[in-house]
Amino acid sequence: MTLVRELVLAVGYEHVEELDQNHYRVTPGSAAEVAEVIRRAGQFKAAVHPIGAGGRPLRSTEPERPRVFLATKRLDQILQLDETSLLVHAQAGITGLELERILSLRGLSIGDYPPVVLTSSLGGIIAVRTPGKSSARHGFFEEAVAGVSAVLADGRTVHTRVAPRRSTGPDLARALCGSEGTIGFITSVVLRLHNKPEARLVAAYRLPTMEAAVSAVYLALREEAAPSGMRIYDADEARLHFDGLQLPVGNVLLCAGTAGPTDLAACDRDLLTSAVIAEGGTTADESLADLWWRRLHAGEPTPGPSPSLQVMATPSKLRAVYRAVEASARTHGAVFRAHISRFDADGAVEFFTFEPPTNELITAAEQAAERAGGWLLGSRAAKLDPYLRALRAAVDPNQIMNPGTLG
Amino acid sequence: MVRGMTAVDAERLQRDLEAIVGPRRVSFRQVDLDTYSRDMWPRLLLRYREDGPNNGLQRPHAVVWPEHVREVVAVVKLARSMGLPIVPYGGGSGVCGGAVPVLGGITIDMKRMQQLRSVHSDELICDVDAGLNGERFERELARRGYTFGHFPSSIYCSTVGGWLATRAAGQLSTKYGKVEDRVAGLTVVTGRGEVIETDGPNRALRGPNWTQLIVGSEGTLGIITSARLRVAPAPQLRVFRGYEVDSVAAGVEAIRRMLQKGLRPAVIRLYDEMDTLINSFSHHDPTVIEPPPIGPVPPIATGALPAWPTPSPKEDESTFQRLIAFAKGRTSRKVAMNAALGKSPLVNKVFGAVAEKIARRGCRMVIGLEGARIRTEIEAALCFHELETAGARDMGEDPGWAWFKHRYHVSYRMSPMFRDGAFVDTMEVASSWERLGDMYHSVREAIGKHAVVMAHFSHAYADGCSIYFTFAGTAPDARQAERVYDAIWRDGMDATTRVGGTISHHHGVGLLKAPYMTGEHREAMAIFEAAKTALDPDGVMNPGKMGLRPRGANAR
Repeated sequence: MTLVRELVLAVGYEHVEELDQNHYRVTPGSAAEVAEVIRRAGQFKAAVHPIGAGGRPLRSTEPERPRVFLATKRLDQILQLDETSLLVHAQAGITGLELERILSLRGLSIGDYPPVVLTSSLGGIIAVRTPGKSSARHGFFEEAVAGVSAVLADGRTVHTRVAPRRSTGPDLARALCGSEGTIGFITSVVLRLHNKPEARLVAAYRLPTMEAAVSAVYLALREEAAPSGMRIYDADEARLHFDGLQLPVGNVLLCAGTAGPTDLAACDRDLLTSAVIAEGGTTADESLADLWWRRLHAGEPTPGPSPSLQVMATPSKLRAVYRAVEASARTHGAVFRAHISRFDADGAVEFFTFEPPTNELITAAEQAAERAGGWLLGSRAAKLDPYLRALRAAVDPNQIMNPGTLG
Repeated sequence: MVRGMTAVDAERLQRDLEAIVGPRRVSFRQVDLDTYSRDMWPRLLLRYREDGPNNGLQRPHAVVWPEHVREVVAVVKLARSMGLPIVPYGGGSGVCGGAVPVLGGITIDMKRMQQLRSVHSDELICDVDAGLNGERFERELARRGYTFGHFPSSIYCSTVGGWLATRAAGQLSTKYGKVEDRVAGLTVVTGRGEVIETDGPNRALRGPNWTQLIVGSEGTLGIITSARLRVAPAPQLRVFRGYEVDSVAAGVEAIRRMLQKGLRPAVIRLYDEMDTLINSFSHHDPTVIEPPPIGPVPPIATGALPAWPTPSPKEDESTFQRLIAFAKGRTSRKVAMNAALGKSPLVNKVFGAVAEKIARRGCRMVIGLEGARIRTEIEAALCFHELETAGARDMGEDPGWAWFKHRYHVSYRMSPMFRDGAFVDTMEVASSWERLGDMYHSVREAIGKHAVVMAHFSHAYADGCSIYFTFAGTAPDARQAERVYDAIWRDGMDATTRVGGTISHHHGVGLLKAPYMTGEHREAMAIFEAAKTALDPDGVMNPGKMGLRPRGANAR
């Protein structure tokens, strides 16, 4: 039998699409079908590449072989909702937005995470480990994962068991998170949920410098404020995003949202206000923060091009990275704007926009950012590659699971 | 494999180990090998009590005390070349036999690697060696104005590395999290004899989470030599309060609601009727002023276990008379205790009833908050309000502070029990809120067939909670005691798995729970096995533990 025939047997004719010679897009409708597809692909040593909400993955550089692109589009069901424990078991192809729409009717929510968590498929967002999937209020999105079901290369399905915490060996769910489909194909996820907060507040502040704003944020976090989101705009970015808002040169705008029981939401906002004042800032028009929050969470469009460069930095390196990239933009004579967002205990992500965004400038800026202690998105722990290869070889001897990814 | 060892090998082992760490930091003396043949697993304590040093336990072939990562690497490489097991050893406070050298080999005691290397105040992280004792770690952080927030009752006799190896929990875990929630990166000597660093300054790196794969592996993948841990500013304020609720179910519901509102006390503990009762007799608790129906029972100095209430006349007269006598110190403790524990199902039933009757006020709760002044004050008010809304009765600050004062004592109360011929152990299981009630009843029943059992709920999360069962039993001789002990664990673990709970919340697996690992993880064990193959292909690291399949020389 041919590969295509096997695939048709596994999922049905209408869910197999030939993309190229020996390359197929398969759209299974259940975890059992995923297992069938992977088992049958294994017989042909065909590579299995996951596709989430984002569509087709990048072509890898490894040698030509039969390939199955496994889409999670039809895996979009909620399997179980445990409203006593605030846990949802949902299939990998559901997007955060769809999930949120259903949860919202029941007074529940995934929680306060950056919008990237909402627009991606659940499987996709946990399969790839990137910074910026966290908030000071709810922590790291990976930590909301209570369990994962995945299909291994031999077609076996594993379900990591769900418990609030456990002390029974390594966290096997967290081994699947971030493995980008190389250890197992994630079919469903058990996610920790939150009750919708009693109150949501927003606030905007003006501060004299970027440095002061970063200090104010961490001063508030140190007092245990747990805002649901924060963003610092430099003056140029603020002008573009807020319809010509004029800030004195060098000043920055800080927008913040807090949530929770009303007293705590107010407490967190007040802690941030005190920190801002301590750093020489003042409160600004609250409607700016309102607009910022609506853009993030209600889908209002954000003006301006998408950022040319994203850099992650730990709290002590945020200021240096910002100045380093700014300096390299200036030497290239480019227009430079930036905002810093996705603050958490580990740091934040800096978003830089250059005009024009020449490759030369971006390369120079990347180098400057790394020299200043920043981390470019998509960096890998290459030193651990031999271990990852050995781990993959142990679960996937024919190397069919997303080969060409992660070294 | 290496139960015995040829003279040639023994000589080589000594020569090579001395070359690595020098003659003073390696030992082959019987007294050291004896000491390192066990940890604090109660089953081994039973064996020791009965048989003394001639207990038939496997001893390590050597004990080494490295002071540097490169020495650890060299020892692991040597073990690998000789096909000898490596057993990492921290404080030796483990209660599951995780540090027992079941196949002999080299025990690496990490306690000489014990520096708090640095505290990065901007990042709120610190770099610390694995062998540092918990209490010293916390004291050194406190000196700099920080806390790690990890306070297990073993804090005086456990190490940072031991915490990480077992996914330990401290008493303030509701605020600070378990140790796995507080780790940002690890330095590990793998079973291949290489040093790896996981994660690092942030979570920006792509790939699977190696830190979370190695944390909790109990030395079966490698030896954690140092860690990058998250710290918090030292608390500016601490608030404690005692409450009483009508029943376990009401208490559980109150805690769930509080946590699911997003409130995070540092600690919230709920004691079931039996635990409440025994607690109230063992602490000099100022709130226990109302005498029970038939005169008060004086508290005994040795602590939480066992102190028994006075019976109502209708109950089993003779057992109770002996118990009272025991509690009052009038008779041999041993006689009284054995009498009581030998009839565990009866005692459980009778005491359950008596406990409810005498402690009519219901179940005791303790809540504590700590942290930054302003936020803690507000959060405390919200927490207390939530509990009162749920019908809990405010008992004032004193019960809370009393708990705080005695919080490390529990671990030290067990030895008198063992001395007197009984055994005590604790079973800490966890589940989602939905299954918690089922788990409480089914595990309680499973243990209650064999021993006196009580429980408290001590680590709560938004999605579930742990239950900490304490049980005490006895048997005519050590062999029978071991059989009862094993039956308790078998039935307790089965009951837990059956209702969908996890068999361990924070004590780890070791030897004790290894037989239940397949039931716990089922097919997902394949991933653990793959990690084992990747990090320790020859199976030298802590073999025989955690239900992993034997490898390399140990497979023979």
